[in-house]
Amino acid sequence: MFSQNLREMLDLALFWEYRQILLAGLAFNFYVFAVSAVVAVSLGFLAALGRVNPLRPLRWLGAIHVETFRNAPDYVMLVWVHFVLPLLLSQMLGQRITFAPFVSAVIALGLVYSGYLAETFRTGIQAVPKGQIEAARACGMGGALIMRRIILPQAVRMMLPEAMNNFVSLFKATTIVSLITVPDLMYRVSMVTQQEMRPLPLYTGAAITYFLLIWGVAALARAGSERWRRKIWA
Amino acid sequence: MADAASTPPCVEVVDLHKRFGPLEVLRGVSTRVDRGSVVSIIGASGSGKSTLLRCINYLELPTSGEVRIDGEAVGFERRPDGQVRKRSAREIARFRQDLGMVFQQFNLWPHLTVLGNVVEAPLRVRGMPKREAMELGRACLARVQLSEKADEYPARLSGGQQQRVAIARALAMQPKVMLFDEATSALDPELTGEVLEVMRGLAADGTTMIVVTHEMAFAREVSDRAIYLHNGLIEEEGPPAQVFGDPKSDRCRQFLAKLLH
Ligand SMILES: Nc1ncnc2c1ncn2[C@@H]1O[C@H](COP(=O)(O)OP(=O)(O)OP(=O)(O)O)[C@@H](O)[C@H]1O
Ligand SMILES: [Mg+2]
Repeated sequence: MFSQNLREMLDLALFWEYRQILLAGLAFNFYVFAVSAVVAVSLGFLAALGRVNPLRPLRWLGAIHVETFRNAPDYVMLVWVHFVLPLLLSQMLGQRITFAPFVSAVIALGLVYSGYLAETFRTGIQAVPKGQIEAARACGMGGALIMRRIILPQAVRMMLPEAMNNFVSLFKATTIVSLITVPDLMYRVSMVTQQEMRPLPLYTGAAITYFLLIWGVAALARAGSERWRRKIWA
Repeated sequence: MADAASTPPCVEVVDLHKRFGPLEVLRGVSTRVDRGSVVSIIGASGSGKSTLLRCINYLELPTSGEVRIDGEAVGFERRPDGQVRKRSAREIARFRQDLGMVFQQFNLWPHLTVLGNVVEAPLRVRGMPKREAMELGRACLARVQLSEKADEYPARLSGGQQQRVAIARALAMQPKVMLFDEATSALDPELTGEVLEVMRGLAADGTTMIVVTHEMAFAREVSDRAIYLHNGLIEEEGPPAQVFGDPKSDRCRQFLAKLLH
């Protein structure tokens, strides 16, 4: 009985048979990832700028943003954004609003990962020695110029490995969007499973696909970012 | 034009106070630095030397008092109608362009080459055309004898070389006055000479300089005037021969004696 299950689990021919549908699903994981990443980087950068701002109210806003979204579980956020947020907005605006599943997925993941990325960015920004910033001020440079010319070029290199970790986590998180019917790989696997009634090879195939993909990309990203970071300015 | 007495000094400090919370670090400092002169500031650790320099270019905001550059107050604008208005951060940054500062820890920007460090502010702050800035940058590097290091990154240079780059970076803004905060204190003894040599050259060229230093022999040699700071007040001030040779203040005498052992 056990060995039969095992054999069936590893019989990936069925998975291969549906490869086109499944691949199209995987593409959705990438879409969700890419758009969420843009949202997360933009909001995360703004929040990080808030957190390092001399103005206290902006520091508070940044901190609230980070704490709220970094501490929200992906799944809870996804469900809340998809089912609750539209209702709230409908109430406020007095007209019926719904989000397409893709939109909800991107908002939810973008927000959650903007919290993580904000902290990554802040750490990088604050790792630039104060003396360098004073030297820039002493030359008459203003805040925006200092950020662009002195802080960011160094901060980006320092925070790159951590940002890569955040992106890998974000990609993993895209696998839960099937819960609100975004037609990604997992969603399609469960569709096919309903037809074929053979969950073992299908879910195993999905697991292996995700694993290989994430493992490969993460290894590449790590190698690339380490290399860039270590490249001392010499 | 007006006679010498009516032209304002290059830097004038009027009754400057600075407190950090309960600690009053500067307790009413007034002095003036004429164009082309070198003033050295000495004093024990914690006496407020760095704070005074940092207040002069408004890296620290003075608690009260005034700093004037060529007669113009850095922190305030006196309107013709007598009204006084605080200047914005942007206006204060405008004054800083004319005040070169050299720090104990060099504070070079490691991601830019030596020449990149030197031309950054002329290019981005002054908006100088690239070719002109490069020429100026190379000229400044020549003044600190580092022409051949223009394309190196700071991490590849010795401490003495890094500090000379920092001096070139400040010079490239063609400042009215150069502020030095213990420029040689972070250097190994065998490297201080080359930096002092460059500073000596600047003084000889008529650069207006305010020099905080523990190098007493150097201060005595290059300054036109010396200031001994004690607990946030000027305790002794005068020609170097007086301050170093025959101070009126006992505290200054003791301070110098301790240095000599
Ligand atoms: N940002 C700050 N916040 C609080 N206290 C400060 C700050 N900067 C300086 N101080 C204090 O002010 C006093 C004077 O400091 P300052 O750096 O001006 O002394 P200094 O004469 O330059 O000493 P040193 O020879 O050690 O450089 C010290 O007691 C120092 O602890
Ligand atoms: Mg000091």
